[in-house]
Formats: sequence, C-alpha cells, structure tokens
Amino acid sequence: MPVTPAGPRLYHSIRFKQLVKHTGSSASSRASNVSMNLVPFVDMMTILVTFLLMVFAAEGQLLQAQKGLELPIAESRDTLQQAPVIIVTKTEITYQGQLVATTDSVLKDDSPTFKIDALYERLDAAAKKIKEDVGLGKMPKELAKACEDAKQNIRPQPGKICPDGLAILQADEATDVRLINKIVNTAKAAGFDNLLFAVKNK
Amino acid sequence: MGAAVGTESSGGRKSVNLELNIVPFIDVMSCLAAFLLITAVWVNIAEINIQPKGKNRDLTQVQQDDEHVTLSVLVQADRIWVGLSRVNEFQEIPKKGDQQDWEKFETTLKEHKASAFFADRSDIEVAGESTTQSPVTYQDVIHAMDVAVKVGFIDVGLTDPAGLAARPQM
Repeated sequence: MPVTPAGPRLYHSIRFKQLVKHTGSSASSRASNVSMNLVPFVDMMTILVTFLLMVFAAEGQLLQAQKGLELPIAESRDTLQQAPVIIVTKTEITYQGQLVATTDSVLKDDSPTFKIDALYERLDAAAKKIKEDVGLGKMPKELAKACEDAKQNIRPQPGKICPDGLAILQADEATDVRLINKIVNTAKAAGFDNLLFAVKNK
Repeated sequence: MGAAVGTESSGGRKSVNLELNIVPFIDVMSCLAAFLLITAVWVNIAEINIQPKGKNRDLTQVQQDDEHVTLSVLVQADRIWVGLSRVNEFQEIPKKGDQQDWEKFETTLKEHKASAFFADRSDIEVAGESTTQSPVTYQDVIHAMDVAVKVGFIDVGLTDPAGLAARPQM
C-alpha cells in the first residue's frame, strides 16, 4: 500500500476559529472551554429509565426466565396474572423455583394414580393456603369481586381471575403431552381447577 | 454532589451562577438504562385459560351424565379428530406435510360453531394422545386450543385422551 501524505487535521488544517478564537493564557483572553448542553440527554435517559422500570413492574414478577425454555406460540393476547407457577423445561419440573421431578422420571413412571406425588404435595399445601387467604379476604378488591362473581358463574375478565384454584403452567413447546396431562391431573387433584398456560404472542 | 462556584468577576464581586455537576447523575442513569435494557423481557407473554376436565386414570368409566352434546378434539401425532358425543360423529383431519392441517381444523370448528348444537355455547374439550413412538408436543395442543378460542369456543377444557366424551374407535 503506497504511503500518502496525511490529510487535513483538526486545529491544523481546519482551525475551528470560532471555538479557539482567543487561545492563550493572557488575562484578557476568553476561556476556550466549550460546555455541551447535557439537559436533553438527561431528559432522554430519565424517560428511558422510567419506561423500563414500568415494564419491569408490569411483567417482571410473573414469570421467571428459564434457560432453554421456549414457550409455545399462540394468537391469544389475554394477560397473565399473579399465581403459583409450575415450570416444565426439557429436563425438569419445578414449582415456585424448587425442583420437583425430572421429566424422564415422570414419563417413565406408569403408576395407576396418574399424578406426580412430589408436585401434588406442594400444590395441595399451596391450594389450602390460597383458599385460606381468599376466605380471609387477603387480596385486592378486584380479585375479591372476581371470587364473588365466580360463585355466581359470571365469567371473569382476563387478568382478574379469582386466585382460588388458579395456577400458571410455563412449559417448553416441545414438552411431551403425556407430561402435560400428568401435571394437569395433578393440579386438578390438588384443587387447581383453573390453569393459565403461558404462551408467546405471534 | 459537587457544584462549581463561578469565578470572581473583574469587579471583585462573586458570580451568583452555580453550575451543578450532573456528570455522576448521567453515569448512574446510563448504567441503569443499560442494565434494564439487557435484562428486560421483550417477548410478549399471554395466556390461554383452561379448565382441567373429563376423567383421569383413577376413574374407570367416562361420565355419561352430561345430556349435552360435547365437541371433543383429539390431537394425535399424524391427525386430529373432531367428534361429537352422543351423536358419535367424527371427522378426521390428516396431517398436511410436516404439520397438522390447522386451516382445515379451523374450518371444521367454525362449521360446528355455526351449527345448532353450539351456536349459543362456548365449551369444547381438547386432548393430546402421545406415545413414545408417536409423540405429540405441547405446541400442537396449544395450537388446537388457540384455534378453538379464536373460533369462539372460549371455555376450553383439557382432558386425558381416555376422558374425552367423544373418542374415535380405532
């Protein structure tokens, strides 16, 4: 590659006279510091941070991100709500973040009860506690109203379903349906008659 | 937080202009924004609400006390069955290529929804029959339920294949 003379350089070829008009240290000269107006930048950052914090507050608590878990895709746009979460990855089943069983062991198990005992124990305890809380009215007003409506067979709005008997299933899209059937049967036996299947929007 | 006090003017009077040092603030905001952007979940998550129904293996017989005609969907690895209980009518929708024929499935459900049996009803039951040799994935069952909700059967019940009110005899 041939060696060519250097091109124009700042402050040499291009003087920026308007910026460095009076350089020097004499008492009469003006300061050469140019301060950038950072106010719009701060405004933008503040708005961005506020938006992101709101996004987190709205959705961050409902589901936990799991390595290697791909949710199934659906067109449904109903919103999720707070409820106990059963997570099924390619290798294991967890409830509220605690390992319950491995998928292989559950698929191999052909017991006549057709439920997952370890999961049943946890769900049963959780269902009893939720029922107790609902009975004592320990929930937001809108959910209390949803529970009253449920007694009268009034359909709840998405995102405002009575927490009594409500759980979320967050399962990988490639999960064998036999596993899903077992989990659903286990949940039903433990008192969770209303399941929300977490899906990804198209 | 630091503040730069203005230099004395030529007259010997102190300037009242104070310049707030906002650089640390910008640093904190930049770090926070970067952290939130990286950890944010950008996928829109929704839900399909189902009610577990039908019998399971604990029961020996299908419940026959329902006088209504029930629309049952059985998802198998290579086809989908749509059946009506009591009437015992079944429609088979074979797989089209690598995927289930979701278009035909949707058309079939629309026809049932428009029929006299289901014009004013919204309940349906769905089951997936999977074996080691012919596995059915969760995605297929979710797709079937999603189509059912889209058509108007919003009360989706998930059941064990043996618990379907209408089950094809093969």
